[in-house]
Amino acid sequence: MRNRALTDLVLAGPAALVVILFIFLPVAVVFVLAFTDYQVGARSANWIGIENFATLFGSRQGRNALLNTVVYAGIVIPASVGLGLLVAMGLHRLTDILPRLSAVLRTVYFLPVAATLVAMAVSWQMLLHPSLGLINTWMSVLGLAPQQWLSDRGLVLYTLAAIGIWQSVGYNMVLFLAGLATIPTALYDAAAVDGADRGWSRFWTVTWPMLGPTTLFVVIVTAVNAFRVFETVATMTKGGPAFASDTIVYALYREGFVYFKAGYASAITVVFFLALLLLTALQIMLVERRVHYR
Amino acid sequence: MKHLLLSAGVVLAASAAAAETEIRVHYAIPTIWAETQEALAEAFMATHPDIKITLDGPAEGYEDGVQRVLREGIAGTAPDVAYVGLNLWRVLEDRGVLQPLDDFLPADPMAAGYTPALLSLGQYEGHQWALGTSASTMVLYVNPDLVEQAGGSMDDFPKDFDGIIELAAKIDALGDTVEGVWIGRHDWRFQSLLGAHGGRPMTEDESDITFDSEAGMTAAGLYKRFAEDAGMSSMSENDARQAFPAGTLGLFFESSSLLKRFEEGSAGNFELAVFGTPVVAEENVYFPTGGSAIVMLTDDAEKQAAAWEYMTFVTGPEGQKVIVETTGYAPANKIVLDDESYLGAYYAANPNAKVGHAQVAAHAGPWYAYPGAEGVAVTDLIAAALVELTEGAAVEATISDLADTLRMQLGMK
Repeated sequence: MRNRALTDLVLAGPAALVVILFIFLPVAVVFVLAFTDYQVGARSANWIGIENFATLFGSRQGRNALLNTVVYAGIVIPASVGLGLLVAMGLHRLTDILPRLSAVLRTVYFLPVAATLVAMAVSWQMLLHPSLGLINTWMSVLGLAPQQWLSDRGLVLYTLAAIGIWQSVGYNMVLFLAGLATIPTALYDAAAVDGADRGWSRFWTVTWPMLGPTTLFVVIVTAVNAFRVFETVATMTKGGPAFASDTIVYALYREGFVYFKAGYASAITVVFFLALLLLTALQIMLVERRVHYR
Repeated sequence: MKHLLLSAGVVLAASAAAAETEIRVHYAIPTIWAETQEALAEAFMATHPDIKITLDGPAEGYEDGVQRVLREGIAGTAPDVAYVGLNLWRVLEDRGVLQPLDDFLPADPMAAGYTPALLSLGQYEGHQWALGTSASTMVLYVNPDLVEQAGGSMDDFPKDFDGIIELAAKIDALGDTVEGVWIGRHDWRFQSLLGAHGGRPMTEDESDITFDSEAGMTAAGLYKRFAEDAGMSSMSENDARQAFPAGTLGLFFESSSLLKRFEEGSAGNFELAVFGTPVVAEENVYFPTGGSAIVMLTDDAEKQAAAWEYMTFVTGPEGQKVIVETTGYAPANKIVLDDESYLGAYYAANPNAKVGHAQVAAHAGPWYAYPGAEGVAVTDLIAAALVELTEGAAVEATISDLADTLRMQLGMK
């Protein structure tokens, strides 16, 4: 018995130690720093209680970053989950009729996921350029007014959201395709016998409930990624113009790595971490109740 | 074989004996600096065989670089000298990791090519903390083709902002995709316009904001006038930097350090011209200078002596010649500008470069960094206020508000 316990310890110990040393310990340090005014490189720091958190929720800039993130996620989550499902169902059906084309389209939709976002951001920047970009050229051909896609304060967040959707649809599609493939055809046959043989009723009675677990996973992954939006902001707008596209993770980067305010950046990290934890727990609780498992 | 090994050993021993002091050098932005740094280190070691220069792996940008130097400082592995952004060495000074250079400076700095204007780039509270290694100020890039299409003349190019706005409006009217003038809504650009009007962002002792002066209002007002009278678009800095070489932007206030890039980008399209930023005030004019500075971190006396040798070299005429020729930045040493034997051929081949470089020599001034923990953060607030001006906000109210916000954030009130 003791021998077995020793074996277990030897097997699990090193990995656990590494996790504690390199993940839990730094996270604990961040939690402590969040209550100080520590600056990167400073020799000392003062305990300032919850002042950092008060600044985040109380200042115009902090609230702006929070609101922007919520708006961004509010657009990206439903749109990219919905579009992902739509595309997956279309391609799933197409596999039976035109398997080659379906495979090609699958690759096309997945490309944005596989491509490095930073490299893609450069292409987007060129496409969206106000006077040289392809998109504004098309707009004027169609008789529409050219737009300042990335430098209009009222528009920039929606442009970034559109790019966020473009980037995540392919990933969601692949997950949904896998989900669709696992639905047994017998269920559709049974539904057909009961009168649900096409369209909406078929989707609503068989496909959607059977996709429950997949949908739960897709929504969580998309939500976490949407709240974490950073690369597009950092490479294309740097949170501007005038903080119009400042998001929570970009603010975290800005405060910590540009302004050198490690204490405040830690506070943002803590809030962000707790919010994501809460969100994930909430989603699992809510959706799990309605998910139809096996 | 034995003989070969033996001689190899002798060579090793000899080089070890010669390279007694090793100096670790930190730098950032390898896309601009990698070749330059290697050329500098090589040239220096050729004349100083007793000092070995080791270049640390470069940081991506100046902000990253400062971060890393600070982190290494905590860990006790800081480099001996570091190249940092001219606006960022104060962060290092504030954390107490820099060595003052006063005792190292020659008795007559002028004779070594360090003019008071150039020395001012690295001074704070009466001490010399950094020496400029490369400099840039804001100049006006012009697309002569668009100027002539709009009915303007390059020979009679406007010398003041009124004339520039008038010309920009005419260029802007040429077509939907043609822009007249553009300037970044950014702390450094604003400080440049402010300096051209003889204003300062802060008092000498940094205890109060002073850009809500008359000079400041006029300078900030230019943003509004550019937008309202000359149709300046709200495009981003990246957009503008693509639009100018593509030939769709007529007049562009930008850093003189971008000359090489713009000349390459516009080659075959048009031949760009460069003018100095118009000087409005009669006195007190300066242009905040961007670029890099070199600082000393080592506290070991022997290393300090070697580090100073290296710093003297890279800020001296020979090092500066290498920096100018490989980066296009303006030199931070007057000797290279005055003595044609260093860069005469370079300026003959790059007449546009001389405009920016002469502006540095005549009007270089510090790029004011706001003091304290919020120092960098407030520059983003300034940028945001400038965006509001171009979108129609009233100048007086916006700038007064901004000044008050800054006083509060920086703890001046």
